[in-house]
Amino acid sequence: MVNFTIDEIREIMDKKENIRNMSVIAHVDHGKSTLTDSLVSKAGIIAGSKAGETRFTDTRKDEQERCITIKSTAISLFYELSDVDMSFVKQKTNGNAFLINLIDSPGHVDFSSEVTAALRVTDGALVVVDCVSGVCVQTETVLRQAIAERIKPVLFMNKMDRALLELQLDPEELYQTFARIVENVNVIIATYGGADEDGPMGCLYVSPGDGTVGFGSGLHGWAFTLKQFAEMYASKFKIDLDKMMKNLWGDRFYDAKAKKWVKQMSKTAPKRGFVQWILDPIYKAFRSIMDEKMEEATKIMGVCGVTLKGDDKDLRGKPLLKCFMRNWLPAGETLLQMIAIHLPSPLTAQAYRCEMLYEGPQDDELAKAFRTCDADGPLMAYISKMVPTSDKGRFYAFGRVFAGKIATGQKVRIMGPNFVPGQKSDLYCKQIQRTILMMGRYIEAIDDVPCGNLVGLVGVDQYLVKTGAITTFEGAHNMKQMKFSVSPVVRVAVQCKNPADLPKLVEGLKRLAKSDPMVQIISEESGEHIIAGAGELHLEICLKDLEEDHACIPIKKSEPVVSYRETVTEASNQVCLSKSPNKHNRLYMKASPMPEGMADEIEDKKITPRDEVKARARYMSEKYEWDVNDCRKIWCFGPDQNGANMVIDVTKGVQFLNEIKDSVKAGFDWAAKEGVLCDENMRGIRFDLHDVTLHADAIHRGGGQLIPTARRCFYACVMTAQPRLLEPVYLVEVQCPETAMGGIYSVLNRKRGHVFAEEAVTGTPMFMVRAYLPVNESFGFDSDLRAATSGQAFPQCVFDHWQTLDSDPLEENSQANKIVLHTRKRKGLSEMLPPLDRFLDKL
Amino acid sequence: MVFYFIGLGLSNPEDISVRGLRLVQGAKRVYLEMYTAILMASQEEIEKTYERKVILADRTMVEQESDIMLENADKEDVCFLVVGDVFAATTHSDLVLRCKEKNVPYEVLHNASIMTAVGCCGLQLYNFGETVSFCFWDDSWQPDSYYDKIVKNRKLEYHTLCYDIKVKEQTIQNLMKGNNIFEPPRYMKTHEAAQQLLDIIERVRAEGEVSRETQCVAIARVGAKDQKMASGTLEELAKIDLGAPLHCFIVTGKLHPMEEEFLAKLLSQES
Repeated sequence: MVNFTIDEIREIMDKKENIRNMSVIAHVDHGKSTLTDSLVSKAGIIAGSKAGETRFTDTRKDEQERCITIKSTAISLFYELSDVDMSFVKQKTNGNAFLINLIDSPGHVDFSSEVTAALRVTDGALVVVDCVSGVCVQTETVLRQAIAERIKPVLFMNKMDRALLELQLDPEELYQTFARIVENVNVIIATYGGADEDGPMGCLYVSPGDGTVGFGSGLHGWAFTLKQFAEMYASKFKIDLDKMMKNLWGDRFYDAKAKKWVKQMSKTAPKRGFVQWILDPIYKAFRSIMDEKMEEATKIMGVCGVTLKGDDKDLRGKPLLKCFMRNWLPAGETLLQMIAIHLPSPLTAQAYRCEMLYEGPQDDELAKAFRTCDADGPLMAYISKMVPTSDKGRFYAFGRVFAGKIATGQKVRIMGPNFVPGQKSDLYCKQIQRTILMMGRYIEAIDDVPCGNLVGLVGVDQYLVKTGAITTFEGAHNMKQMKFSVSPVVRVAVQCKNPADLPKLVEGLKRLAKSDPMVQIISEESGEHIIAGAGELHLEICLKDLEEDHACIPIKKSEPVVSYRETVTEASNQVCLSKSPNKHNRLYMKASPMPEGMADEIEDKKITPRDEVKARARYMSEKYEWDVNDCRKIWCFGPDQNGANMVIDVTKGVQFLNEIKDSVKAGFDWAAKEGVLCDENMRGIRFDLHDVTLHADAIHRGGGQLIPTARRCFYACVMTAQPRLLEPVYLVEVQCPETAMGGIYSVLNRKRGHVFAEEAVTGTPMFMVRAYLPVNESFGFDSDLRAATSGQAFPQCVFDHWQTLDSDPLEENSQANKIVLHTRKRKGLSEMLPPLDRFLDKL
Repeated sequence: MVFYFIGLGLSNPEDISVRGLRLVQGAKRVYLEMYTAILMASQEEIEKTYERKVILADRTMVEQESDIMLENADKEDVCFLVVGDVFAATTHSDLVLRCKEKNVPYEVLHNASIMTAVGCCGLQLYNFGETVSFCFWDDSWQPDSYYDKIVKNRKLEYHTLCYDIKVKEQTIQNLMKGNNIFEPPRYMKTHEAAQQLLDIIERVRAEGEVSRETQCVAIARVGAKDQKMASGTLEELAKIDLGAPLHCFIVTGKLHPMEEEFLAKLLSQES
């Protein structure tokens, strides 16, 4: 640990070239938090006054009990790079001292919104992969998000100890395992556009030969990159360190006879460099220590330059191995070096991240300061999450300063996510009560924080719900919204046991909404309070927090339910007509399903309402074979202006159409949000406005006449176009030994799931099963699976897609019909489907 | 029996025809439609004048719940009172259609309407073109299509009669939530209308057929004792507030010498 006073910390914060903001991301149980611990113990910064207290490991009680991370936590590290190593840093530096702000994020997919929030405020990511299980579903998800956010990744292969001790792989097999993981990671990087040399960040491929891949064991506290070994051998082989590193990876073999490196394996060059010069020595050390051949072991330690002190000398077996490896290849040193050398500084990163984070013009004053990370420019900070304080109901706003300086008492503009430049909605001009440093669980007041650093703010929580931007620049635009990789598809309704506690419940729900980046709180018309989260575990934690921390009252909760979507499967069987209340305005419309894949593209923001109209029309007409003229006349998307439904104007020569556009849009937004079947969102529906008859006089075609009419017409269109329900489906990944496979299949079958891939994980006796499972059936899936496989299978469920329920919801007593009626009942709607003639008028 | 549509005339409850009054007094139920225009009297005063109870019918009732109004109308007399003339200013033709559908016999008693009474300002009724309504603008809804109609009328040398009524509208938020909360009734005044026209002229930048110099007439409370009139250019009228509702506004077309004389005298009278 490093002892610093606040002033010393503040001093390093000014050297923006030497700051590294990074997140640790990985699949659940791949060892992020354990690895982070070894970094903290090596280089964690603690202010002088606080030394002696333990706090970094002091996280939530439930986190320790369950052994999983739930909330992301930021800590600061201090590291000094040696002069020799400074030459490896390929970007601007300022002295040898580095300030590393590290955010440890949860790996469980239910909490991946925390990862999203962490990625937003960092520039680099340490991707941890368990070398035994390999690349898993969540590894891919977080990596994809990182690349989309323009975060540079470096890779760390964790749990090498398991590979050696448990699986007993021979060195060449282990090399192959590593090579496969590196390849898998690079394939993901390439898939999501990170492989482009000319891209804004260059090629993001990781490669052991470049030193961007680390190997080791977080649990045992040792790690190395090829650089460490290259340093040991470079002088021996009398070649450059760079070349040596390249020789230690891939198809490079050392020909001992010819004394040179060759590309082909031969009798005189039997082993590849990585195996011969790195794995062999490690294997040798492992074997001699584990077999307790002390003589040999002592010799090896001598060669490695490790001398044991005091009690360590008496260690034997595994503890000795741990102690030796930790001394020989200390994990902290290796990783910090990798981070300082390969991850970008804010100065480097903001130059290419500005255009995708800042929504305003790229040549305004703020964008300039943003790109150059200028502490003297106007302020721009982004708040990515709220952290509960010890004071109940209050939160620290946690975020990052991108431009300028933020200071205690500064007068700033606080812009919520709905802020529109030039308007006053969602905008507050307030003073910053206090700026603080947040390091792990403890906080320290600081006068100001310059750009490139992470910051905590006191008092801002009153004005922001979850996220927002803080600026001093009058003409500032907003920062781009974070896009979560998971959707809140699982819901529970909550009630307080004691009716008098209702105000506390409402207040508690508000606080819960603040404290979690993704959870949604919905109040139904029936007075029900709904909490929507990513999965069962996420909801469980939310409910626990609500009960114990936020509301502090006993709570009754309903069985979890899932959200559905409403869609159509055919074109409307007629052009639907709806008349306005005064009968003088008539709308004629038809609905049809969107082609496969379009709804996904809209949700993934590949097709957005903000696209340039002609380019979007060209793209859509080419890809989906829609008429290009229709595509140019998309009026709007919905719900919330960006959902996966749209209204297209296919009218010909209608006068005053512009005047009713807003009314139709409002009616559409309303209808798309509360579908006709059971008030669920619509999805994947295209509405064509065919014709319009309007009253001659503007006063009689206002919103009051047209909004309800448009809504009725949209409903009629859906009802006549073979409406169907969509249910959410999880992608399930289960890793298990072969013996447990039968159990998995039987549980999945019982729960309407189907397996679509099953493969052996190379190098291990484990199998990987991938299946689709309706979210509705997933409640209790974990425990059922555990019971059926005697605890050998661990599933990971992540929302994957929407699937059509085949049965017709309009047909009485069909499965979909039952769901619809049940949902209507729960929402307090009339317990029967509205008849078509309520929406469809006759000429 | 019969469903009577009875026009009430322009301002005073006593403007009802003698036959109309008798029918009202003898009817089983009497509805008073008060959302397209208002009388210069409250419901109590009206009830006092007619010596019977009347039921206020708002927009929702007339447009969406007409069945209640037509109930038993084939067996007993029901009166539907409309301020002005039944079919003039606003249209209740839909209600007539529904009477037909339900085989309810109906009868119409006409009365004066702003459409005819506007002759009081000296402009000849023959020379009026299409009538338009001005709408209260809000942030997102700012229709200006009536400007085109005024231009069209002027090209044909017609006058244009303009008015606005906005009574008991819901805000969009309340409409979406299904709350039956209505905004307080608002009536546009002539100077507001003139200002809105000026805004449109500014927006479309078409200083052509209609300009700030165009001759216009503003009239308030036609038919009432405190009726007021003013004539002048669009710009001038944007500065004159004529007081309590209802107002109407006329953009003139080509003026006949008789009309010119009338307006000139009117103007001098006012100033």
